[in-house]
Amino acid sequence: MSIKGIKDQTYYEVLEVRPTATPKEIQRAYEQGKETFDVDSLAIYSLFSEGEVKEIQEALEEAYRILMDEESRRSYDQSQFQMAGELPTEEPSKAREVFEEEKTYLSFTGLSFNTEGEVYRGKALKQIRERMGVDPQTISMETKIPIQTLEWVEEEVFEKLPPLVYLKGFLKSYAQSLGLDPPKVIEDYLHFMEESRKK
Amino acid sequence: MIWTIGGGKGGSGKSFITTNVGICLSKLGIRVVLIDADLGGANLHTFLGIYPPAVSLSDFIKKRVSHLNEVLIPTAVPNLQLLTGAQDLLNAADAKSVQKRKLVRSIQSLSSDTALVDLGAGNSLSVLDFFLMSDGGILVVTPEPTSIENSYRFLKSAFYRRLRQSVSSSSVKALIDDAMDQKNEMGILNPHGLIKAVKERDEGDARKVIEEIETFRPNLILNQVRSKKDIEVGFSIRSACLKYFGIHLHYLGYVVYDQDVNHSIRRRKPLVLENPRSRAAQCVMEIASKLARSHKMATRIKGYEHQGD
Repeated sequence: MSIKGIKDQTYYEVLEVRPTATPKEIQRAYEQGKETFDVDSLAIYSLFSEGEVKEIQEALEEAYRILMDEESRRSYDQSQFQMAGELPTEEPSKAREVFEEEKTYLSFTGLSFNTEGEVYRGKALKQIRERMGVDPQTISMETKIPIQTLEWVEEEVFEKLPPLVYLKGFLKSYAQSLGLDPPKVIEDYLHFMEESRKK
Repeated sequence: MIWTIGGGKGGSGKSFITTNVGICLSKLGIRVVLIDADLGGANLHTFLGIYPPAVSLSDFIKKRVSHLNEVLIPTAVPNLQLLTGAQDLLNAADAKSVQKRKLVRSIQSLSSDTALVDLGAGNSLSVLDFFLMSDGGILVVTPEPTSIENSYRFLKSAFYRRLRQSVSSSSVKALIDDAMDQKNEMGILNPHGLIKAVKERDEGDARKVIEEIETFRPNLILNQVRSKKDIEVGFSIRSACLKYFGIHLHYLGYVVYDQDVNHSIRRRKPLVLENPRSRAAQCVMEIASKLARSHKMATRIKGYEHQGD
């Protein structure tokens, strides 16, 4: 619970993620947190003192640094949950609660931004990815799409893209990693590409 | 079920949202009463395009009529009624909590399913009490520093008032009063500091305070958003509230800035009736359907409870 002060919170609580969060989720939570607690952020205006904001910023940085490194996260988890006498998986109710909020977040924004008729062209995919706070490296690692190709896909450098069979495969895994509907993404992208070529 | 709409500042769109969400709910088959409790400018009737009503809550309070039903005003929308004059009660300096509770009970006893109470931008104790007594309090905020500042001020007052009502020891009550003053001598800077201080005095009260914090779940509607970044401000506010108060603020939704809104208000025709396909109307509809879902859930739970009785 966050009724504890920021200094008494676990790194997971600081980032508002569940203890089983993936690196991608941690990345996204960190970037959201950074935006929320930026000195110019509207959302903290008049609520926190300068000192409190600084404390939270530092806590975010530290939590991110520890949790994004596999090794240090493991040893943190060990010390943390041994001390509490429980493993992260033994907190199902809380974990689920946070997780579900996360899901609402996604469906909420998904609903809001993919207003009907939005075409999944390269630039749109890039925008969605950036909004989720995922960097190209993470996507590339996850999908095995070479980073350069990923860039060409996003920037719509069609002449550089691989043959159609490969491209379809890439688009499919890219869509999956962003939580989008793969057939729709493939259809939109290829259609857009064809239209652009005609011009 | 009683929803109260408050906080923010004048012009953040509370009356617009109350009216239009109410109409959407009534379209979904829920019987709705809109209650105008705005001290500064009670004008839900104008949003609905009807003349200032001849009867009001005063007639009920002053016992000129025997039942609250008799001061309800029908509107052109099926399932939707209007009650004005609640501001008289909230404004009255001598409004005792007994009176307020009585009003809440009378509202609950109406044959409607849902009441939406427009509290206006007020910050008075009566307004706060009403906000806290309702089943769900909704803050309407625009993504501007002034609106956000006022909303946090409102939320802080409501938060501390809720805690104060829950504890029994007078020394802890005094502590909470102190905490509201940023320059208090106790050095309590924020809710976390308060909890620590309460723990030192009274373990029992500390448990109550924590329970109150965990169960305080206000809602947020962001109005007049112009960009994706504006929409994100809602999530940031949610996170800021979690970090500062330890409360779970529920981001109910947002309404985009839309010229159609101004046109509809000028023409005194509710947007969701006049222009249901406009972007703002669609946002309102989405919020209403979320409320309808929680309404359905609540009635189901209530039914279950009655069975158990």
